[in-house]
Amino acid sequence: MTAEVMKYTREQVEALELVPGAQHENLEGWIPTLADENDLRQALEKAFDYRGDVTLTLKSGEKIEAFIFNRHTGATLAESYVQYFTPAAPEKRKLSYAEIARLEFSGKDRAAGKHWEDWVKAYNEKKAAGETNIALVPDTLE
Amino acid sequence: MGTVASYVLKKRLSGNQRYPLVLMLEPLFRCSLACAGCGKVQYPPHILKKQLTPEECFAAAEECGAPMVSLPGGEPLLHPQIVEIVNGLVERKKYVYLCTNALELKRRLPEFTPSKYLTFSVHLDGQREHHDFAVCREGTYDIAVAGIREAVQRGFRVTTNATLFDGADPASARAFFDEVMEMGVEGIVLSPGYSYDKAPDQNRFMGRARVRRLFRAILSNRKPSWKFNMSPLFLEFLMGKRNYECTPWGSPAYNIFGWQRPCYLLQEGYAESYKELLETTNWDEYGVASGNPKCANCMVSCGYEPSAVIEGFGSLKGFWAMVRGTFSSYRDEGALKLLNEAPSHPPASLIQIEQAETALEETKA
Repeated sequence: MTAEVMKYTREQVEALELVPGAQHENLEGWIPTLADENDLRQALEKAFDYRGDVTLTLKSGEKIEAFIFNRHTGATLAESYVQYFTPAAPEKRKLSYAEIARLEFSGKDRAAGKHWEDWVKAYNEKKAAGETNIALVPDTLE
Repeated sequence: MGTVASYVLKKRLSGNQRYPLVLMLEPLFRCSLACAGCGKVQYPPHILKKQLTPEECFAAAEECGAPMVSLPGGEPLLHPQIVEIVNGLVERKKYVYLCTNALELKRRLPEFTPSKYLTFSVHLDGQREHHDFAVCREGTYDIAVAGIREAVQRGFRVTTNATLFDGADPASARAFFDEVMEMGVEGIVLSPGYSYDKAPDQNRFMGRARVRRLFRAILSNRKPSWKFNMSPLFLEFLMGKRNYECTPWGSPAYNIFGWQRPCYLLQEGYAESYKELLETTNWDEYGVASGNPKCANCMVSCGYEPSAVIEGFGSLKGFWAMVRGTFSSYRDEGALKLLNEAPSHPPASLIQIEQAETALEETKA
């Protein structure tokens, strides 16, 4: 947690009726401008939070499709790294921030668009149409 | 209970300040349901296809040393080696809680062997229409109940676990307790919903004041037939009768990414080992005492039940409070009033199926 994050007092926490949820950015398709070290660090932080694959282009020109699940931030880019899985390889991989030239949020955001309100609306429409066995189904794995 | 009590006492006597009670071992994230409120399964297909090997599961259990292992997910019964994983953990004398939506339970039961170490913890969020609506699939309740009855009949230990969100009807929850106890389950597990960052829906998370009111209404004036598979002191915490600080290291989580930092609910990164998790996490940044907004509404068992268990087994005063809580009905006239009053806030649609449209409009208003 960073120092600039607003902190609740204990009294405020205990009196909370409802908790404001997280605000999700629409990142799918975004290609951040990486003009300096700070841009890269911020973009990779968002990539760590993103529930979809990203495409990393290395300074060598190599492209990697990756799901970034962890990051370690050190004092320099060379000391900082992301950990990721690729669709093709079974093992965890690690990549230094210093090797990354470009980042694209290329994969579908898997946390987007599945709101409770959508389910309520779909349920009521299907029910009104006389449907039975109404259900949401998991996304296919292909 | 004796195993946990002696474990806690040994840790205290050895001066160990941070030790695990329950390993949250997620063997996979794949699930057969698509609950709109879930914050656990939003991953690309190649991640959902991955799973821990039995050897990775055993290594995690041995490394952290917790006496209990909870197998959530995803849906653990989708793991092709789940029987091997369960048997291996049972051989290691771990108390295993296999958390399942029970869609496959009845069919898979012959593959498992009843044991005092194995409990099926079946996800049921309430009465039939409430549960089906909560998990976004009609017919789920009936399938799960058939699985529960078959498991009980075969001699397995079975509990139910329910997550309650804003708008939950306390009277219905109490009627649900009657239903599940009639099924022959050993006990009920309850938890308020947590505001997962990654949950697609971000509008139904109760704050602490509302959680306490809801659980006071539900858990006061208990019937003798109700059994809860939870620390009585943790239930008192939910009812607003006690205060606890979070013990996030009490229920460490391990999955395909590693040891999740800092807890089962928050994903702030991963450590390669349990030792690294303990030694390199800045624990002061988490829990309600920290003021961290991400922890502000959390009253979830993975963080606060270890605190209650440690108090219960850590002192005579705590132990006596636990015994008293086990046998108390928690008579409370004020709670009866809460139960009979119309909700003071607009009901969410979760368990108001017939009024879903109206409720949604009211929530938006």
